[in-house]
Amino acid sequence: MPDTRSFLSRRAVLAGSTLLAAPAILRGAPARAAEQFILGTWGGDYQRLQMENIELPIARAAGVESVPDVGDELPRVAKIMASRRLPRGQMDVACVQAIQAFAMAEAGVLEEITPAKVPNIVHCKEGLATATFVPHIWSPQILSYNPERVSAPPTSFADLADAKYKGKVGFPDANYFYAMMAASLFTSGSSADFEKAKQVMLKVNENGLRLYPSTDAAGPPFKTGELDVGVMWLARIAMWQNAGIPVAASFPKEGCILYVSGMVVPKNAPNKEAAFKYLNAMLEPAAQLGFAKNMGYLPTVGTATLTGKVAEQLALPTPSPKLVVPDFALTSKALPDVTDWWKKTIQHT
Amino acid sequence: MKRSDAVAASGLLGPATFIVLLLLVAPLVLLGRYSLNRYDVTELMIEAVTGANYARFFGERFYYEVMRTTIGVATLVTALCLLLGLPLAYRLARSTSRWKSFYLLMIVLPLFIGSTVRSVGWMILFAKNGVLDGIAGLFGGHVDLMFTPTAVIIGTLSVNLPFMVLTLQSVFEGIDARLEEAAAGLGAAPGRAFLRIIFPLALPGIAIAAILCFILGMNAYATPVLLGGPRFQMMAPLLFWEFNTNSNWPFSAALAFILMGTTLGLTMVAQTAIPRRYRG
Repeated sequence: MPDTRSFLSRRAVLAGSTLLAAPAILRGAPARAAEQFILGTWGGDYQRLQMENIELPIARAAGVESVPDVGDELPRVAKIMASRRLPRGQMDVACVQAIQAFAMAEAGVLEEITPAKVPNIVHCKEGLATATFVPHIWSPQILSYNPERVSAPPTSFADLADAKYKGKVGFPDANYFYAMMAASLFTSGSSADFEKAKQVMLKVNENGLRLYPSTDAAGPPFKTGELDVGVMWLARIAMWQNAGIPVAASFPKEGCILYVSGMVVPKNAPNKEAAFKYLNAMLEPAAQLGFAKNMGYLPTVGTATLTGKVAEQLALPTPSPKLVVPDFALTSKALPDVTDWWKKTIQHT
Repeated sequence: MKRSDAVAASGLLGPATFIVLLLLVAPLVLLGRYSLNRYDVTELMIEAVTGANYARFFGERFYYEVMRTTIGVATLVTALCLLLGLPLAYRLARSTSRWKSFYLLMIVLPLFIGSTVRSVGWMILFAKNGVLDGIAGLFGGHVDLMFTPTAVIIGTLSVNLPFMVLTLQSVFEGIDARLEEAAAGLGAAPGRAFLRIIFPLALPGIAIAAILCFILGMNAYATPVLLGGPRFQMMAPLLFWEFNTNSNWPFSAALAFILMGTTLGLTMVAQTAIPRRYRG
């Protein structure tokens, strides 16, 4: 039996181990660990783009790192509301639509956001931010149509009830409240006159309204000829066009309801400082442009300027259409009733 | 049984019984309590003892119609499963082919895929310009089954059929084949032997398979949502809508109890339809 000790002695093993560990030992003082915070967010593309455009290039450099809590928006809101009396909440940043943010602010569960906490908030476009809500992305709701099949684009929400589109009208079921606001805007010039909006929607429904179980499912029907017209965010039109779907946007003459999505910080968030740093990173022009390029949503800060193909796709017509931020005080009150009506009347036919 | 044996048996059964009680009964008790609470848009759930959530369900025609659709789908799917599954299970049980294991595997195989993924497969088949529509197009026809009750029935049937076949196959396996031979020896034709000898013996097992299938149909969620679309309303998606979209936990808890109670009630009624002498 050969004597292995001659080349693998205890001393040699110790010396080798020391050499291997040398880089770690000689590295000096350990780098300061990034501060972690809990980010309540949607999954899928949105979460991926948050990582690629906000966290990795900007937020990490500011010393914060997210621990994602992925889920639907409404359970996220319910979680914050349910834990509001606890001294230590379960979320630091929650991604929500403006309408939900308003309801949460009314319930007094949100931290106030000031320029001292999030300096970039001063760059937010007028009307999008509130005292407790930091807007991340926005998009006008427009009339979508297939330009290969529809020669004269629809010009108002009422056109969806036109008999020439019978059975060829549709949108995602989840967008029902925004569609109701569009109907309200057409019929009364306000975003929250739902009694009149119901009458308009009933006519659209009688015209063979098609409802789709997800936003993604409402795009391909324009390609198959199942749909000719609908209502959708401008952002989605850009995404569908990029996917080769023949669809175009028409801005309704009565105006466009704005879809605004952003982030809030609960009052009992365990790590507010990290949350503020993340919100500030989210408002940086580079992060905003990343979302515009990849998801088609418009930047919420004046410091981000679109260029190239994205700028063309997301350009608003001249003269600029009427852009309507929903009257959240009225819409959030009406939401339960409209939801019930939608379920029992429109879905149930 | 000796006293020491009884103690040992209790000791062995105790932990499992405790876990079952904890995992089954405790959530039900909690859910039952929630169903008596009151919903508020801001507070979400206010502690109370009220029957308002149950009254709301029984007071509105809409909920009655959703329940009717649910029972209709579950009953139809169970009937179709019996019609298709019974001959298949019987043939498999009596098969002596060396391919028998392979056939069984083919029946089990769909269960390896989640019902959501299977529904996506059906969507590709049923959609406009999908596979079926493409084939129909070759003959100048047109098939668009997406978001129709037919799509939901076919989708649910595909989920439930393996459960029916597997349950029935083991039931038929348990019935001695020599009984049929004896019946044949006494002059009974195969059909008569099946109906007079095998079917009555298998009836308790058939009832269990049908109940299993019915319960699965009553609680179907992914298939009605994906293949039926937003307009096709069944109880499980409605329950989720109330829970998720409205955050109305008290009402969704009441819906859960009503669905459970209805399923249990109908199952018991179905049991009474089987003659007493054939019950297991």
